[in-house]
Amino acid sequence: MTVLEQTGAPKTTPRSGTRRRPSPLGSRWTPYLFLAPAALFILVFQAVPLVQEVYLSFTRTRLLNPTRSEWVGLENFNRIFGDPDFHRTLLITLVYVLACVVGAVGAGLVVALLLNKGFRGRGVARALVTVPWAAPGIAVALIATWMLNAQYGIVNRLLDAVGLGVPGGAILDSPRYALPAVLATTIWQLFPFTSVVLLSALQSVPQDLNEAATVDGAGRWATFRAVTWQVIKPTVGLLALLMTIWSLRRFELIWLMTKGGPVGATETLVTALYSQAFDSKELGSAAAIGMVGVVISLIIIAGSRLVARAVEKEEVR
Amino acid sequence: MRRFRFGLTARIVAVLVVLGVAVFPLYWMLVTALSSNGDLFAEQPRLTPDVGRFGVFVDALAEGKAAGWLLNSLLIAVGTMVLSVGLGIPLGYALSRFSFRGKAVLTVVLLFTQMLPEALMVVPLFALFRRFDLLDSLTGLVLVNSAFVLPIVALILKGAIDGIPKELEEAARADGGRPFTVLTRINVPLIAPSIAATAVIAFFHAWNEYVFAVTFIFDPELQPASVGIANFIGELGTPIQTVMAVAFLFTLPAVAFYLLAQKYVVSGMTAGAVKG
Repeated sequence: MTVLEQTGAPKTTPRSGTRRRPSPLGSRWTPYLFLAPAALFILVFQAVPLVQEVYLSFTRTRLLNPTRSEWVGLENFNRIFGDPDFHRTLLITLVYVLACVVGAVGAGLVVALLLNKGFRGRGVARALVTVPWAAPGIAVALIATWMLNAQYGIVNRLLDAVGLGVPGGAILDSPRYALPAVLATTIWQLFPFTSVVLLSALQSVPQDLNEAATVDGAGRWATFRAVTWQVIKPTVGLLALLMTIWSLRRFELIWLMTKGGPVGATETLVTALYSQAFDSKELGSAAAIGMVGVVISLIIIAGSRLVARAVEKEEVR
Repeated sequence: MRRFRFGLTARIVAVLVVLGVAVFPLYWMLVTALSSNGDLFAEQPRLTPDVGRFGVFVDALAEGKAAGWLLNSLLIAVGTMVLSVGLGIPLGYALSRFSFRGKAVLTVVLLFTQMLPEALMVVPLFALFRRFDLLDSLTGLVLVNSAFVLPIVALILKGAIDGIPKELEEAARADGGRPFTVLTRINVPLIAPSIAATAVIAFFHAWNEYVFAVTFIFDPELQPASVGIANFIGELGTPIQTVMAVAFLFTLPAVAFYLLAQKYVVSGMTAGAVKG
């Protein structure tokens, strides 16, 4: 009983005095009994492998002989940071993540504003718009690849019809167009999530404030900035953080559409680490690439919390 | 007045465009599955599904391995759903109702795991699976998928339990209820919608999972649909109609269930992520 968080008022009911009290040892261990199975699971399948992966990043280990590891200190990190291909991977990861954040949050906001006004069939519209997010990534990669097919894909047929066709049509084989195509597919899958979340944030925008601003003669844009934006700002920040973290770890969609190619044009940290492990069979450098991604994620999370705290302070003032 | 009309029309057009963009790829999957070869490769492709060719779905399931793939996916997904929700309820309860040493660390670990890519963890997990003879086994995939979806399940359920007034269970405990009984009798029925949402999330996490399945399963008989369908990409042997029919059958349950549980799933996903 005593371990209950915030037990509230002391128990004064006569009943609590007469009934058997659980042994203090029993109560102290109660939370651990509840969490032990789950914690054990996370320990075995996440914590231990992560520690092993950190260790691997400081070793030379080959996929074909993974039990034999040779400690090499920072060599893997020195090598990848000296490799121009890795610099390109970092740059493409940055472009990919930024474009995903801006694209998904921006498109989500536009769609949320569109669906926020009452109209007939809004319920159906809101349900249908979530379809891309619900579709499995594998199926999305497959249909995107088919729609982008060089000869028979509907995208090329449409682009040709309006005179914008890519020469040869092989969008996913083109170093120039592959990344935009993968990005468009990613954003297509993400925007329902951001728009549904923003839609629920928009519900808490006080309508009378909007009306008051309009009556005062403020333009639409000014009203949006003064009222709506102030209310949804925290949600936008949260979504931007979520999109960043998710995009830094995204794998299947990119891998199945392009395998990081052509010539590295869509290679992000995660596809790079996977091909380093399973194509080049270098587990050590693969782990080092993975660690770079983990550290970047950690920095972004820590940074976002600092920014959030600073903003809070600013608002209190 | 005219300006108002124009605004309304523009809005309707914009909404229709958005809906078209959202739904078109899946619609196109269906159209492709139901097209003849002539339609597919014609100068003018068919733009509407040829309902008369509905048999392609039956054929896709009857011939080939698709039915077996979907069955494997179903087994993995049900196992993951049961295990992760079964472990997530007590974990969420412990996080919500008790204060104990290590609680802050555990919460940080749960949040931290959500940024780890599967592709990073696959190498050490492969070694672990080999040692415990879990390669080529659906059980192994259930275990690893449960571990990966467990943090979000537990955080969502913690949030749901936070929302239940403590007085309810205090009364039950005062009546001599043991903690586990209180959890199952009092809390579980009250958070049923959130449990349903986490069940949907866990089920489709496993249904969609690809990296572990493609790395840990070698026996074609044990392949789930995610791997089977991914192998279609870039392969030329299977007719595209069959490919799209299988992919459509794989996609449909995910979309249907998310639409049904959408309200709870979305609020759960953000709640789990917000608590940072």
